Amino acid sequence: MTPTPTKRALPSKESSLFRELLNLYETRQLKKGQKTADQILKKFPEHGETLCMKGLILTHMGKREEGLELVKKGVRLDLTSHIVWHVFGLIQKGEKNYEEALKSYIQALRFDKGVIARSPCAPSIWCERLDDDLLVCQITDAMSLNQENMNILRDAAHLQTQLRLYDGLVDTRFLLLKLRPNLRQNWIGLALAYHLNGNLVEARRVLEQYERSLKNVPEYDPEQSDLLLYHVRILEDMEEFTTALTLLDTKAKSRAIVDRVAQDSGAEAEQAWRTLIHCNPDNTGYYYSFFRSKNIELGAVTDPDRMSTLRLLQDLSLQNPHTNTPKRLELMVVSAEGFRPLANDYLWSGLQKGIPSLFVDMKSLYQDTRKRVIVEELVDGYRQSLEKNCLPDGAPNEIVAESDSDVPTTYLWTLYFLAQHFSHIGQHSRALSLLSSAITHTPTLPELHTLRGRILKRVGDFLGASVAVNEARLLDGQDRFLNTKSAKYKLRAGLIEEANDTFGLFTKKDAVSPGADLEEMQSLLYLTEEGDAHRRQGRLHYALKKYHAVRKIFEEFEDDQFDFHGYSLRKFTINIYLNLLSWEDRLWSHPAYIHCAISASQIYVELFDNPSRRKDVLSTGKELVFDNLDKTISRLSGMSAEEEKKAKKRAKKAQQKQEEQKKAAAAASAASAATTSTTNEDKGLDLTPQKDDDPDGIKLLTSPEPLDRAWKLLSPLLRLSISNLDLWFSVFDVAVRRGKYLQAIRALTRAKVLDANHPDLHVRLLHFRKLYESLPSSLPSPVAVVVSDALETLITREMTLETYNAQYLQQNHLNARAILGAAWGLQILGSPRDEIEGVVFGTLNPQVVLPLKTALDVLSFLKDISSPRANEFRLACEKIFDLSTVFKTPDQLAIMHLQRQGTLLNTPNVDD
Amino acid sequence: MSVTIRPARADDLSAMQACNLQNLPENYTMRYYLYHAMTWPSLSYVAEDAKGRIVGYVLAKMEEDIAPGDEPHGHLTSISVLRSYRRLGLAKKLMLQSQDAMASVYRASYVSLHVRKSNRAALSLYRDSLGFTVQDIEKKYYADGEDAYAMRLSLKQ
Repeated sequence: MTPTPTKRALPSKESSLFRELLNLYETRQLKKGQKTADQILKKFPEHGETLCMKGLILTHMGKREEGLELVKKGVRLDLTSHIVWHVFGLIQKGEKNYEEALKSYIQALRFDKGVIARSPCAPSIWCERLDDDLLVCQITDAMSLNQENMNILRDAAHLQTQLRLYDGLVDTRFLLLKLRPNLRQNWIGLALAYHLNGNLVEARRVLEQYERSLKNVPEYDPEQSDLLLYHVRILEDMEEFTTALTLLDTKAKSRAIVDRVAQDSGAEAEQAWRTLIHCNPDNTGYYYSFFRSKNIELGAVTDPDRMSTLRLLQDLSLQNPHTNTPKRLELMVVSAEGFRPLANDYLWSGLQKGIPSLFVDMKSLYQDTRKRVIVEELVDGYRQSLEKNCLPDGAPNEIVAESDSDVPTTYLWTLYFLAQHFSHIGQHSRALSLLSSAITHTPTLPELHTLRGRILKRVGDFLGASVAVNEARLLDGQDRFLNTKSAKYKLRAGLIEEANDTFGLFTKKDAVSPGADLEEMQSLLYLTEEGDAHRRQGRLHYALKKYHAVRKIFEEFEDDQFDFHGYSLRKFTINIYLNLLSWEDRLWSHPAYIHCAISASQIYVELFDNPSRRKDVLSTGKELVFDNLDKTISRLSGMSAEEEKKAKKRAKKAQQKQEEQKKAAAAASAASAATTSTTNEDKGLDLTPQKDDDPDGIKLLTSPEPLDRAWKLLSPLLRLSISNLDLWFSVFDVAVRRGKYLQAIRALTRAKVLDANHPDLHVRLLHFRKLYESLPSSLPSPVAVVVSDALETLITREMTLETYNAQYLQQNHLNARAILGAAWGLQILGSPRDEIEGVVFGTLNPQVVLPLKTALDVLSFLKDISSPRANEFRLACEKIFDLSTVFKTPDQLAIMHLQRQGTLLNTPNVDD
Repeated sequence: MSVTIRPARADDLSAMQACNLQNLPENYTMRYYLYHAMTWPSLSYVAEDAKGRIVGYVLAKMEEDIAPGDEPHGHLTSISVLRSYRRLGLAKKLMLQSQDAMASVYRASYVSLHVRKSNRAALSLYRDSLGFTVQDIEKKYYADGEDAYAMRLSLKQ
């Protein structure tokens, strides 16, 4: 053992002061602790451990910066003290800098002499592989380990789990168990560590050893039950089904396993599934498993099994009269020939009950066109009878007997169903006219209006859609579902202010704004939709702000798991904890995150390619270079003087409120600053949220490194093997601009696996080959070989890029998106504008199917190349998409909006 | 395909949170959902449509601070079903599954809940179809100042 460094040794007076300091900290007597530290430092200003303790105390008191300075200084002055490293680790953990914190903890354990001594030749008990620096430690006097060391080890285990460093976790957990075998959580901790590290055999061994040591386990103990289920699960994963089943059987009989739902999941016996179906007849999965135990796959029943499967389903239906599930499964299993009577029962009963989701429920059966036609015939037949106020002929008898007063409601739901049906198969006008009859019949059913809104949205009339859904909202102001829908439709229509007012009807009244409350409540829907709305209107800074807010939420989700690394072991809820870890492992693949990462990357690429866009966005004020529908509408509506006054008043009030809140916040922070210097208030070690110094996203917009920011957003997605073409296009777009050609070509290779003929891939292949051929100096050779080989397999060098592009167009000349892709290709190859225009106008060829979204993309492409024919294209689209409003000018739109609102106010009949 | 009722998993929590935000005025951050799932994993259930979308949920717990003389009991933290999936009896089905788990896994003797005085639809679900009774009125229970009915249902067979 090395002697205590002279610098660290204190004379006896200061030495006892230091012990007192540790005690004061433990009991969080911060103020006294600070004074005691100062007493020592007065005489020994360079005493590292005291400096660190003072820094730690200051951090607890809310003076993070000052505290951190002292801690760093203390570490520098005494690099071999375990105390300084422990303190440093605590601070880093509070800052959520888990990697660095773990390194500090390892240092602390390494220098904790008297407990763990460094001994390179001793057998490894505790190893940690960080920075490839293998640290081997041996316990020399395990019994002398104090609580502080146990805490360090436990904290280290939590950090290793958070960082998914499972090799190290096994070692840490092993050590903890060896030191404290009497704590049951240490046993489970080691089993879990082995399990996470892929060593099921050892995990099982540890569990069995632990179970043998248990005496007098009470019946009906949920914790013990969860542990045994975990044991069963490990056996299942090891494919030791018989052992698993035996364990399950004995333990269930002895009432050690109490969760019946979990109990049977391992057993494949038919009876077990029957029992489960009886307990929860609405779990479709149970039915699939029941039939699997009879070697029938419900999703793909073949003719020989069909009759017996249907009979079994009918039995199950009789045994479980309160569920529709087996009946619905019959509809799927039955052949088209036998479909009509079953569908008749199911549909008629659903319409009589007024089940709004009936169509959504039926839709998946439409894969079989014959079934679709039968559904249409049946429901349209109901309509015809009900229109004459009589019941349909084929209606099931027992239902016919019910009272006639249901007829009008059933009629309404029939129309509702048919409107969805016809819109689904592309007959939107017919759908809208059915809805008009329904609304004339009963104007007060919100569902009719939301559906009308959905159909209008589908045909591209976003403003009309938002008006319709708002009608629905007004019919039931207490319903937040309708409120959310309405606000979302307003965002889609570009009415951002109106949308926020609507959201605000249900958000907390004391929040700074409706958006602030929704963000705090982690509403991904709000942030994504509003980000998109701003982006469509060119307010890129606001859009970036919202997309980054989404990222922050996912960071919070990732951090949220930290506390459960310890909690779940204490609570013995192991199975759900493992489920949590695997969810967190795939956390970033959430569709909302993917969408925001891609959208923000696209903006950053745009800003990189065209830096003057920043000025455009900012120069004419923050808001208005682009169409702001809210503003255009108020301009054109010639707001009455009174309204204008109201609006101004509202704006002023909002501003006042904001200022008041700012003042209150400032006062609060001043007050807390004042109090911290005199009281012991413990603010903990976790970073408190910083004040947002970029509320409008200007810093994001003007960031000098837009590509680095984009890459940071995309990188958590790279290792998750996500099948999203746009993601790989974004990865390419960012990588190629950062000169990372290997990443770029890998992204294209991934995209090609997903869709080899995709127009957006075609464009990027051209782009990359052209760029690669024009590189002034060649890449370092290993990279160069990989890139050129990959490039050669993606796009052959046998023909010129011009021919390649022409061939692509020829092969896909009826595909609108491909035509656009070929036009892009020409643009990349530097062809004259009129030639490009000629190609792209080919999308208007009557033989070409032109989806609305593609038409919009073509229009924005024409604008991008400053084509004088852009307006010509817009006018053509206005004719083709006659129900849509997306090809109207902002002024036209605003006028339409005002007119419609007027119409809606004056006449109760909504008609097209 | 009709809607499935099954126990909630960790990977459902974010969809449950979204469903709650869309339907109800009382909202919670992810930590609160995690706390429920990680402490009483068998008590929360979801309703899932054929495409895997969560259209309804029940978030439930066991009461942690039991007053002296009181028995172990469950508490319903939040329940909601998307408006577009109403009239399928999903709320009732979710509740029944959760209650069953409270009784069988944690031996709860009753389950309690709060409901807004003005929420007639929920009140009728709890009272008329599930058999809850009003125990008490809690003044200004909700953030906006509305009173709550405190209701309970015995789980003893």
